[in-house]
Amino acid sequence: MRIAAALIAACMGVLPVAAYAQVYAAPTDAPRTTDRTTLRNLAREREIHERFLRGLAAEARGAWSDADSEFTRAIALDPPEPRGATARYDLAIAKTRLGDYGAARALLNEALVRDPGFTAAAANLVTVNVMAGDVRAARLAADRFIALAPASARARYERGLLALRTGDIETARADFRALIADDPSYAIAHYDLALVELRAGRLDSAELELSRALALAPRYARARFALGTVYVRIGRTADARAAFDRAAADASDITLRTIAATLRDRL
Amino acid sequence: MRCLRSRWTILLTLLATLAVAGGVGFAAEVGLEELSRPHLAPSADVGLLAPITDAGRTGWDCAPEKAARATAARAAELPASDR
Repeated sequence: MRIAAALIAACMGVLPVAAYAQVYAAPTDAPRTTDRTTLRNLAREREIHERFLRGLAAEARGAWSDADSEFTRAIALDPPEPRGATARYDLAIAKTRLGDYGAARALLNEALVRDPGFTAAAANLVTVNVMAGDVRAARLAADRFIALAPASARARYERGLLALRTGDIETARADFRALIADDPSYAIAHYDLALVELRAGRLDSAELELSRALALAPRYARARFALGTVYVRIGRTADARAAFDRAAADASDITLRTIAATLRDRL
Repeated sequence: MRCLRSRWTILLTLLATLAVAGGVGFAAEVGLEELSRPHLAPSADVGLLAPITDAGRTGWDCAPEKAARATAARAAELPASDR
């Protein structure tokens, strides 16, 4: 009798665990119709939902080809908004990861036609163009992104970098200043603004921005290295040597560490 | 006359020395500039924003849309200061 009671108690302890291990999807309402068109539409809706779930799961595990198939099928089912634009946005991510930048750009442009306020699509369009090495298209996309979200830090940052790379000093300066005005604690914006000022030959401003960047992030080796360069240009050799020495000590990038040490030793 | 010639010789030697020293100094500075320029690169590019569920960007918790519109760098998923 005691053994039987013990067995029952043990089973009661184990059974809830087994029940927790089995997960069921939430029940969905059974369709209360026999109309063929309605049933077909319900089936289509369900498939779109399932394709999204499977596509997102595939992207989460980096299975980009699988995600490509799922979202391509979802788009073929012609989902209404916002899912039409979203499926294109998600497929663009898979295409980008597969290296098909042309397809990704086309999909993001389509998403923006379907949903002109889709800021994340505008943001990824800039990124895809940068990854594709198409600076001109990236700049156009960045201008569009800023027009859509003028206060966006990401839009300011992306366009600022593109403007800096292409020598559009005024735009780069305006974007990094706007970024700093909204978030003065972002050290990288101070560093990029310093590069803008360096290119413009405004060494005092460059020094000031680099000092601000380093006050926010004292081990920011690239900023320290740039400060050393400013010191070389203004003839403060001892300060330059100290800056390169510190940059060499702080840099995790071996190339930067080596070049900083070389410059320190040459001064 | 000899005195004048020796003065000229000293003066020319001095000028030549200064020119060489200046040239070396200039070359050293140019060398430093050349060495440092490739490492004065802008900061890193941003990565792609994450996928969005079938609720779409109008979903109440759409993180990529929030990141795209954020005004603060951290919320916008911008690069952190590297070393």
